[in-house]
Amino acid sequence: MSAETNNWKTLLQDKIPSDWAKEIDEFEAQILLNKQGKIEPRIFAETRLRRGAYGQRYDNGHRNDGIQIRKLNYPTKDTWKGPDTFWDAPGMLRIKFPWGGVTADQMDTLADLAEEYSDGIGHITTRQDFQLHFVHIEDAPDLMRRLAAVGITTREACGNSVRNVTACPVAGVCRTESFDVTPYSKAIFKFMLGHPDAQDFGRKFKIAFSGCAGEACGLVNMHDMGFVAKKIKVAGKEANGFDIWVGGGLGPVPYNAKLLFENHPAEELLPVTQAVARVYGRLGEKKIRGMARIKFLVAKLGIEEFRRLIVEERKVLPNDPRWTSLIEQYLGEVEKPAQKATSLKSSSYPKGFLEWKRTNAYQQPQYGYVTVYVKVPLGDLTSNQLRSLAGMARKYVKDTVRTSVEQNLLFRWVSESDLPAFFEELGTIGLAEGGANTISDITSCPGTDTCKLGISASRGLARELSQEMTAMMEHLPEEVRNLKIKVSGCPNSCGQHHISDLGFYGVSRKAGSYAVPHFQLVLGGQWKNNGGTYGLAVAAVPSKRIPETVQRLTDRFVKDRQKNESFQSFIARIGKVEIKNMLQDLMVIPSHDADPGLYSDWGDPREYTIADIGKGECAGEVVMPSEFSLTSAESKGFEAQVKLDQKDLKGSVGLAYESMIFSAEAVVRTRNREYVGNPDSTVGEFKKWFFDTGEFVKHVNNTQFAAFLFKAHENKLPNPTPDEARRRVEEAQLFLEAVHSYIANAPPPAAPIPGK
Amino acid sequence: MDLQKINVKFFMEKGSEIPLKDLIPIFHRWIQQDKLEGMLIDVAEYTHVHQGPGLLLIANEANYSLDEMGGKRGFLYNQKRVPEKSGEDHLRTAFRRILGACSLLEKEPEVAGKMKFAVNHLQVFVNNRLAAPRHSQSNEELEKSLKPLLGELYGDAKTLLIPERDPLKRTGLEIKVENLVSLETLLLKLKTN
Repeated sequence: MSAETNNWKTLLQDKIPSDWAKEIDEFEAQILLNKQGKIEPRIFAETRLRRGAYGQRYDNGHRNDGIQIRKLNYPTKDTWKGPDTFWDAPGMLRIKFPWGGVTADQMDTLADLAEEYSDGIGHITTRQDFQLHFVHIEDAPDLMRRLAAVGITTREACGNSVRNVTACPVAGVCRTESFDVTPYSKAIFKFMLGHPDAQDFGRKFKIAFSGCAGEACGLVNMHDMGFVAKKIKVAGKEANGFDIWVGGGLGPVPYNAKLLFENHPAEELLPVTQAVARVYGRLGEKKIRGMARIKFLVAKLGIEEFRRLIVEERKVLPNDPRWTSLIEQYLGEVEKPAQKATSLKSSSYPKGFLEWKRTNAYQQPQYGYVTVYVKVPLGDLTSNQLRSLAGMARKYVKDTVRTSVEQNLLFRWVSESDLPAFFEELGTIGLAEGGANTISDITSCPGTDTCKLGISASRGLARELSQEMTAMMEHLPEEVRNLKIKVSGCPNSCGQHHISDLGFYGVSRKAGSYAVPHFQLVLGGQWKNNGGTYGLAVAAVPSKRIPETVQRLTDRFVKDRQKNESFQSFIARIGKVEIKNMLQDLMVIPSHDADPGLYSDWGDPREYTIADIGKGECAGEVVMPSEFSLTSAESKGFEAQVKLDQKDLKGSVGLAYESMIFSAEAVVRTRNREYVGNPDSTVGEFKKWFFDTGEFVKHVNNTQFAAFLFKAHENKLPNPTPDEARRRVEEAQLFLEAVHSYIANAPPPAAPIPGK
Repeated sequence: MDLQKINVKFFMEKGSEIPLKDLIPIFHRWIQQDKLEGMLIDVAEYTHVHQGPGLLLIANEANYSLDEMGGKRGFLYNQKRVPEKSGEDHLRTAFRRILGACSLLEKEPEVAGKMKFAVNHLQVFVNNRLAAPRHSQSNEELEKSLKPLLGELYGDAKTLLIPERDPLKRTGLEIKVENLVSLETLLLKLKTN
């Protein structure tokens, strides 16, 4: 075979839809042009993001090796694939799996690609995607062609676009759903992919579907736009409809979605989505990235005004026949089981089978069938596992496998009588572990392993906690087994820490001249009602002491739980003050000499740092004035949370504001140790010397946090709503985290503030 | 066949029971001290994964990993990017680098005396299904490309070459050499010739 013909482009040309092939060719041409310096790195960055090619940690050419910040000498020194992103630096490829559906052929392809271009691992994300890490950008076009040949596009997997459309993974086999949302999620994915009205967003746009209101699986409440299935009456007849929600989102400050339309006819799904995209594209923030999600637009306009705009937009939309034809097309696609329904015969089962079945098999409403949850540790599957799972899919269920937002794989339509054999086959590839959807089944974002924004090792913590919980599982009381743990490496919530019983997100704290990895404990969230209740940060605990934190909280829950009391009710009843008291000793950081292990993160022996901080920088144990301000800020922030729990909204908002002022004071005091001022002067000094100069943003990499302070100073919310109060408290906490980060990152001041 | 993206794995004879977590500091130290050829970037841990890549030293051109694929731990050189030299040089480079890493690891204080690689038991495969599609011809070509190097390293010792049978896996060979030869001897041969 000649070189001209021995390439993936030629070999796969008959298997790739022509429009997809053209897009990939164009992307390949853009890669070439960028390499020749003919495309600005900034433009190329958005181009590759829209094709799913993301940056990864250390792609800026620097890495802390535990001793020093080390320069990474990538071979092509003057070529960039984005601002401050080296061309040669390996990156991540996000691969969209709409509604989480993955076929056997696709699993085989993922297995090959993970081996050939990545590190041998296919990683399931918290939005039903797969990701491959450590991929080189030149390999991306061939990788995309091989995916396209099995029906996958990475288009709009990242960037300011409509991201993967997610759906409840048990849609169609669920006992509580109104109807199967799969055809509708397929239609909306197809309709919005590359849609002209979805190309001018200021930020990403995420859509989710749920078959019912009560379960969490679809997580509609935390999405930009979401649909909850509902049977409605149309002209006296029962029909499929949806409650349509908009403006939800996690991120550093979570927003609950607002009800846009209730009992809306299913046929209106696509035009309403198009209208929302148009209004968001037209009115959404474009300049300030941190304020550009649709949740900010909905909050700014108010849901009534937003609804009015959508109704008006809908009226002027030119008719598109695909609004109905796509739905009709996908309603016609019916999932068929591979095997006949036969019930499980009682006989001797393989060892561990019944315990596994209890947690990992879900009885479908269809007689004789179950859905099996394959518990995937940290969402990671090897190439060999993927290939074996593909074989099992062909044998037992055909193409009915789905990923879940909890980073597992679901095999739907397993005939009950096949369960023992299925379990045994899983065992041969190390995937027969029970405990799916329990406290041992922990969700985590990539964190400091690969993410550029990671602060703490979320995967390291999740691995540790999961192993501990698995080992303890059979001794854990039922009420503890059923709790959820979710971990994010930073406040951005990719691990969905706000909606779990025990949530954690990575932060750092300074102890003397060292940085110490910590996790904020988030309590009060609920894995119910489409992620309908968000938790709040309670206390920052050193990373290595999180297992002890979990142990204390769960022990106390078991000991003091009232009859049938939920974990959330228990937390609310004993109160955050008591919880903080319970953990107080864990929050005290011993000296480096006394416990050096605390100064490194899980699975990473490097001395932890988020900056190049030299030992002895702060003259040992001498307490800086800024640290006193930080302590006051922490204290006020905590009091604000307590007031919020007590439903004292005004009190909580006032204390949150005070916390922010102390935080700002801490920053000002880094350059003027004796600084004392009032709120106006503190905000003024902060703005003049740290924000306007770019100094603060440079060290925290985000404009949003400082904006929280300015917003709170400008609008003190005299009559806050519960949502506003909760957000203000969250914002105070995040601004405080940013200040911690700034103080740890920023070099010692070259000079004090002039005139002080 | 264009021998691209060569992978070479030497199996571990002693030390498979050592928890991979205990070896993480060694990989970080190698980055700090520039112990291996090529640009080293980071360490990735997959100890939670069954028979997976185990512990990886991520590099720009080729990763090194204490790999557990197939249920047998070994040290794997996993070439990701195509170097500019010819096919045979790729092979020599891969062998030299991975054997160098094996030698280095065996001497690290945490494992010295407790870990040993079986340098007469290895796997070689081509991590590129385009360059080495799965058919018998690919296996023959790989064997042909490998034989001179194996002869150089192991002399006329009886050598068993077992091709990968699974059609979904990459073109590759498991190699068992009968005579015993030391790691340092192999390294010397690779460096001097």
